[in-house]
Amino acid sequence: MTWFQRVRVVYQGFFLLLFLWLLARLAAGDLRDLPFAVFHHADPLSAVGLILAAGTIPGALVWATVLIGVTLVFGRVFCGWICPLGTLQHLASWLLAGRSWRESLQVNRYRRWYALKSYILVALLVGALVGTLQSGWLDPLSLAVRGLAAGLWPALPSGKPVPGGWLAAGLLLAILIASRHIPRLFCRALCPLGALLGGFARFAVFRIHRRAEGCNDCTACRFACQGADEPLGAHRVHECHVCLNCLPACPSQALRYAPVPPLPSPPARPDLSRRAAIGTAVTTLAVAPLLRAAGGGRNVARPELIRPPGALPENEFLKQCVKCSLCQQACPTGALQPAIGQAGVEGFWSPVLVPRRGWCEYACTRCGEVCPTGAIERLTAARKTGYDGGEPVRIGTAFVDRGRCLPWAMGTPCIVCEEMCPTDPKAIWFEEVEQTGRDGRIVRLQRPVVDPQRCVGCGICENRCPVGERAAIYVTSVGESRDPLNRMVLAPPTR
Amino acid sequence: MSRDSKLSRRELVLRLSSTALAGAAVGGGACFFYDRRARAATVRPVPDWRVHGLSGLPPAVAARGADPAANVRRAVDALGGMGLFVKAGEVVVIKPNVGWDRLPEQAANTDPQVVAELVRLCRKVGARRVIVTDNSCNDPRRCFARSGIAAAAQGAGAEVIDASSAVWVPAALAGDATGLEVMEHVLAADRVINVPVVKHHSLSRVTIGLKNWMGVLGQGRNRLHQSIHRAVAELGAMFRPTLTVVDATRVLMANGPTGGSLGDVRSIGAVAVGTNPVACDAWGAAQMGLDPAALPFVAEAEQRGLGRSDVAAVKELG
Repeated sequence: MTWFQRVRVVYQGFFLLLFLWLLARLAAGDLRDLPFAVFHHADPLSAVGLILAAGTIPGALVWATVLIGVTLVFGRVFCGWICPLGTLQHLASWLLAGRSWRESLQVNRYRRWYALKSYILVALLVGALVGTLQSGWLDPLSLAVRGLAAGLWPALPSGKPVPGGWLAAGLLLAILIASRHIPRLFCRALCPLGALLGGFARFAVFRIHRRAEGCNDCTACRFACQGADEPLGAHRVHECHVCLNCLPACPSQALRYAPVPPLPSPPARPDLSRRAAIGTAVTTLAVAPLLRAAGGGRNVARPELIRPPGALPENEFLKQCVKCSLCQQACPTGALQPAIGQAGVEGFWSPVLVPRRGWCEYACTRCGEVCPTGAIERLTAARKTGYDGGEPVRIGTAFVDRGRCLPWAMGTPCIVCEEMCPTDPKAIWFEEVEQTGRDGRIVRLQRPVVDPQRCVGCGICENRCPVGERAAIYVTSVGESRDPLNRMVLAPPTR
Repeated sequence: MSRDSKLSRRELVLRLSSTALAGAAVGGGACFFYDRRARAATVRPVPDWRVHGLSGLPPAVAARGADPAANVRRAVDALGGMGLFVKAGEVVVIKPNVGWDRLPEQAANTDPQVVAELVRLCRKVGARRVIVTDNSCNDPRRCFARSGIAAAAQGAGAEVIDASSAVWVPAALAGDATGLEVMEHVLAADRVINVPVVKHHSLSRVTIGLKNWMGVLGQGRNRLHQSIHRAVAELGAMFRPTLTVVDATRVLMANGPTGGSLGDVRSIGAVAVGTNPVACDAWGAAQMGLDPAALPFVAEAEQRGLGRSDVAAVKELG
């Protein structure tokens, strides 16, 4: 291994460990303001997607331009040196597959269907343009966090279960296992971020350059090539991960990674047929509204669609959420879960609050702090709770199920929902009654009643209700601050 | 066996011994695993943490003043000093109320200065380990951080174990709490000091020391609210602390036990330390202006012989 390959491995290890460490700190509830979303802020796919879908680059996402700048100078170094999912696949293909010299030459050949990722990119961007942001499905950063947050962390001690998490974990696992057969199959064939960076890499200043007179066409450069970009002949610079494995592999030192090559090295264009690209775009234009309508549409509020505090109105939310799962990893109580069916097809894996799993901690604003795209607004504790004098941020309203509630239905005292209620004054108050039981004894009961003017929908009442599997008090999304139409009661009449 | 079967003695010994080894492995494994789960599920007893053989002490001593740490110090000294209760080399668990993600000013949790002073007093008399612990109602990490108790306790030389890092074990609990789990490190402690804060509660009217034992119980404790007075008295009968330290530095008078508004907080500036948990709760109720005799859980605890609820017997240092 040459010195520059060693440097690359150090970079890969550093970024992978940083990525995992940040996720671990997030899960551990580290109260420091660490840069939890730093990888996601540098993600040009999210940035371009948001520009097309929402017409904005919110806050720190502007760092994506730095990554584009780096790509314009050095090529797709992000893929080969930084991307945690790339490094995981690199590691998996090295661990799982022992290949002969001949097999290595075979699996690292370019294949025409590697162009699939470009069509995926076209579909995602056209989808974003018509208002449905789905880039997170295959964005490598979102995909990695999702798979780890839903598939690995719940299995760790003190991890919280994520129903449906096997979907994300299975996809991540499949990607890693696939790289046993074809190294970095996901990067080569599917990754839309790689396809986007490839578009910029065509203009890169530094690139692999082949001296034709030194080359004896031995194809040894293909031996450990990560991007399947074949430095031999017309080098596919848009496919190159800049892993630099080809340089020491060349027996006649005909390859160089150098700025502005002295000889014209024809930058091959992405393997993208115009006809197929237009077909993809048109199909997306037709399918995107179909998915939205078939998934249930956005105009009808759904009772179980309780969004995190500070979430944008649903229509805007779906234009900005990249389904990265950072908010789910950050939620201290495990309340934020991936939406499987609650948010329609286009909201699949977006965050939804499930009170029986956890509650929205009253003064906690973690989800908004880590959201890389501003789909969840950054709140302060004072703003969220209304201690600043304004209206508190509501995410729903609690309802008592009088058929299951102990004081209402069973003649049994219980006040747990009221005890837990964090608002001031409490949103749950008591109707006090004396009830004669079957045996003639009189029981004094405090029956909980919810004051919708005070309830913020945090769900700690539902979470802590002692009535077994289905709580006797439950939260639905009505009354949420983000949707003025999803309302129930007006302000009480002024006296 | 015929002579030409060529089974050497060496081979015979090898084969027979390997058979024996395999048999021993099967038998030993069966013995080892037989009914193992039934044995592992034994419940742990709740020890008695009281110091016996003390006589002539008042049931509790109360001190008043602006400095909560000084109040703790004066009251403990008037009771005979911490050395009477904690011996060198012992493991002490301090159990404040760290139930809520609230700031100290909101008076929903025990005052951090009271906790810190107790830690210092225990360390001074040579306690080997001092552990500050509670099973919070809100997210435990946020509760311990924002209540100021984690920083204060660690600064004074204690370890903090919250619910996210605690080990839960089945304990020999009776009555309504049967089947619930208890924090392992509490059951393993040599001495336990219960440090409740006095505050309003919608069901029991006031929550003080006896109800503070809810905080060592695990999942399922919610159901105890169905018969709160009986459950609280039962807890008091099962958990017998070395000392009860009642924090009435700030008292939450309404909207408890969570509070929130500073308007509901009254500054009382008093701390009581005692060996009699019922007298301590009676004193705490009196600080809120309640008549202890009118509180069913106090009466029930008294009936069970856990102590007298005589507020007048509490020695006031002023």
